[in-house]
Amino acid sequence: MKKHILILLTGISLLSCNSKSEETNSTGIEPKTKVETVQIKGSETVLPLTQKAVEEFANVDSQLKLIVTGGGSGVGIAALLNNTTDIAQTSRAIKFGEKQKIEEGGNTVKEIIVAYDALAIIVHPENKVSNLTREQLEDIFTGKITNWKEVGGEDLKIVPYARETSSGTYEFFKESVLLNKNYLSGIMSMPANGAIIQSIKQTKGAIAYVGLAYLNKDVKAVHVSYDGGKTFIEPSFANAKNKTYPVVRPLFYYYLGNSESKVKPFIDFLLSPTGQEIVDEVGYVDLR
Amino acid sequence: MFRKLSNRFIKQLLTFSGAVTGIAILFISFFLFKEGAGLFKTSTIEKGYVLIVHSANPVGKLSSHQIKEIFDTEITNWKAVGGKNQEIRIFRIDDIFNEYSKTEIGENYEHLSEKLAEVIQKNEGIIAFLPHQYAPINSPSVKELPAGNISVSDYFLGKEYLPTATPAPLFGVLPLLFGTLLVSIMAIALALPLGLGVAIYISELADERIRKFLKPVIELLAGIPSVVYGFFGLVVLAPIVQKTFHLSVGETAFTGSIILAIMALPTIISVAEDAMRNTPRAMREASLALGATQWQTIYKVVIPYAKSGISAAVVLGMGRAIGETMAVLMVTGNAAVIPTSIFNSVRTIPATIAAELGEAPAGEAHYQALFLLGCILFLITMVISVAAEMISKKKNFKPV
Amino acid sequence: MNKKIKQQIAFWIFRLFSVLIVGILLSILGFIIFNGIQVINWEFLTTAPREGMTAGGIFPAIVGTFYLVIGSLIFAVPLGVMSAIYTIEYAGNGKVVRFIRMMTNNLASIPSIVFGLFGMALFVNKLGFGDSILAGSLTLGLLTLPIIIRTSEEALKAVPESYRSGSYALGASKLMTIRKVVLPSAMPNILTGIILSVGRVSGETAPILFTVAAYFLPNLPDSIFSQAMALPYHLYVLATSGTDIEASRPMAYGTALVLIVIVLFFNLSATILRQRMNKKLRHN
Repeated sequence: MKKHILILLTGISLLSCNSKSEETNSTGIEPKTKVETVQIKGSETVLPLTQKAVEEFANVDSQLKLIVTGGGSGVGIAALLNNTTDIAQTSRAIKFGEKQKIEEGGNTVKEIIVAYDALAIIVHPENKVSNLTREQLEDIFTGKITNWKEVGGEDLKIVPYARETSSGTYEFFKESVLLNKNYLSGIMSMPANGAIIQSIKQTKGAIAYVGLAYLNKDVKAVHVSYDGGKTFIEPSFANAKNKTYPVVRPLFYYYLGNSESKVKPFIDFLLSPTGQEIVDEVGYVDLR
Repeated sequence: MFRKLSNRFIKQLLTFSGAVTGIAILFISFFLFKEGAGLFKTSTIEKGYVLIVHSANPVGKLSSHQIKEIFDTEITNWKAVGGKNQEIRIFRIDDIFNEYSKTEIGENYEHLSEKLAEVIQKNEGIIAFLPHQYAPINSPSVKELPAGNISVSDYFLGKEYLPTATPAPLFGVLPLLFGTLLVSIMAIALALPLGLGVAIYISELADERIRKFLKPVIELLAGIPSVVYGFFGLVVLAPIVQKTFHLSVGETAFTGSIILAIMALPTIISVAEDAMRNTPRAMREASLALGATQWQTIYKVVIPYAKSGISAAVVLGMGRAIGETMAVLMVTGNAAVIPTSIFNSVRTIPATIAAELGEAPAGEAHYQALFLLGCILFLITMVISVAAEMISKKKNFKPV
Repeated sequence: MNKKIKQQIAFWIFRLFSVLIVGILLSILGFIIFNGIQVINWEFLTTAPREGMTAGGIFPAIVGTFYLVIGSLIFAVPLGVMSAIYTIEYAGNGKVVRFIRMMTNNLASIPSIVFGLFGMALFVNKLGFGDSILAGSLTLGLLTLPIIIRTSEEALKAVPESYRSGSYALGASKLMTIRKVVLPSAMPNILTGIILSVGRVSGETAPILFTVAAYFLPNLPDSIFSQAMALPYHLYVLATSGTDIEASRPMAYGTALVLIVIVLFFNLSATILRQRMNKKLRHN
């Protein structure tokens, strides 16, 4: 018994020495001397794209270290403001006020569009409704329409899901579909797109919105009309590309002017043909 | 000499360590309250912005709620908020770019202010939401609506929680508070009979072998990380609840309660069992000698004797449930409404903090509101922990 | 007779409850183990995630959790043990001890998300550590402090008074006695507390959300100022985001299994250790 404990203790102390020595190595002032680190933070929607691009980029250039975190577009921009990230990835354009705040600090903010995304409106696969107009969507998400029979479905309560408030998708949907009105208070909100798909799969009366990349066989995407019900367009890769599907938005990278040289290698990679191929693979619309 | 010094130093170090938990608590409360209290010094309207109307408009002040309804176009006429019979026209800063070209406004927005003044002059029914810096406040046809600070009653008695609504966010805590309490109380209601039964079984009935087996089981239940419970709840429990009760949604307060009940069980069982075991042997034997059955002895002697311990168990279990974050975030659906049934989706305080803190820019209203939620949580659990201590100190055995 | 029947019914209900509890545990563990075991292989444990978290492994998350555990122990163990020494060996009068104990209990009752808030306000923003292993470790260290203090106090109390008197009789000073006699004999029990807190730290999500956790890192962290991935946060990410929830499900099961194995291994070893120690003490 005693022996075991001794071994355990020496193990622990060795480990702690290890990490101790690590601590003394880094000066604490500028721990990133050898390798440049680039932080990318923000939108859950852009996350899969960035993550895959970072994976591929590591094979091309191992000198640049990339760190990817989610949290939402708002988080990304806020982090850019607080100087805790190098690139903010967002699924909505930066707001005038946010830009103001960065420029007040004497910095410029640079915007790059890296891909386009179509926002699909999804329902449960057994739901009979397959066409909705923007006006109907607005009424559903602001709580004026509460039953599927009001939009041509069966007699079933509508359960709208939104993303958490930090998400760019939440903001973009609010601007584009709800024309800046607030969602009904007490809408179910989910921390991430995967959770939304999971909930829609399980809930017959559910309706939600996700990026095109997230569509799968468990959910049904409805066709959307922005011209009062004359034409209903299916959210698809092709329709997003030829701009007939109305709910399309650019996906952005924002970075500060003074860190341009640092982030450029990765952004150039993403905008190169190889990078844009990744965009297609992940399920977004490339810039070509 | 050196020895003396080092001895003294070690003693001081030890004294300091003794105080370390107290210091930690002080620090935590200081930081939470410092950040949280700032909320009531913050304007109702988003920082750096102003609300502007035409100077001919008689309306003098709008509440956060009225502002929300106007910008949601639920109120479309100034009459509804005490103004003239006049259509309301909403104007946001980004709209200026539809009225004027980039060149007219200027590369560095040098003409922005005057163009805004022009727009306002032309529309008597306008309400404009503009950055302070470019608001043409000095122009004769412009009137700024005074923005009050977020009031204590808005926060604690507000029924609407829309933290990112512009121009005026709403931070009503009530839906979150009720959601948290509903889920936790229901969890304890589920866990208490079960926990007491098991505690009685372990302390009074089970032989050594079974006890040796059950103890680690309970410790394992206590050891499972909260995120794993959440995952289990999301994938397994939510669909089951949905099918069993034929609900439209599986992510409900009830689902959360079941998960929290399982999480609170170990606390309840171990505290209650400890209390029962402390019943003096003499009392048990006296009861049995008077001809009572074992069961009568348990509920006439042991349970009354352990009453304070059992109450402490309930209180501690409650504390555990109220503070639980990840599991609840993943299974309750997070809808910020005051629940009317146990099958509603609810949003709890901890889940709200976890979901929103990352996005809230440091030092602004939303961030402060979340810290204030943290304060509420901190206070509730403090009260609970002190209460548990008081209760378990009391030995309130009265012979029946 | 009636009394007997009542007793029988009551006792059967209690037995049923106990079976139910075991059933709950088994169903949770079974669900995780059954689904997770199919994913676990050498590659899963030693490589980074690939293909948008639908392939590859969870190595960086394991490493990150390891760093966080070590970091929090470096901070919490010395402080916690010293705090226990002070209360047991020095703080003679009851009032001080009671106050300290109350504070420890209060700290233990604070929800983990509040630690997260505090860690973000103090370590990340105020002291400017940013999202980093350092900030995360300090936050987690605070969280486990009460566990370490309590178990260390128990351990010190269990050291027989005769050891101390013997040491004094040989002319040793108080500090000497603590260093050479009390601590060595309390060590095994103190270790139990440390092991317990390892189990707790490796499973916590809420405190690391805003202090250290990263969604994806292609390389391992190289300093205490880097962010790190961590198992519990990784499980949360896999369960709620990702483009292809079906494809990342197996990864989530695997992560949950690894996490549970780590956490329960430490918890169980602490329990077994404690039981052994208790036996030993009785034998003496």
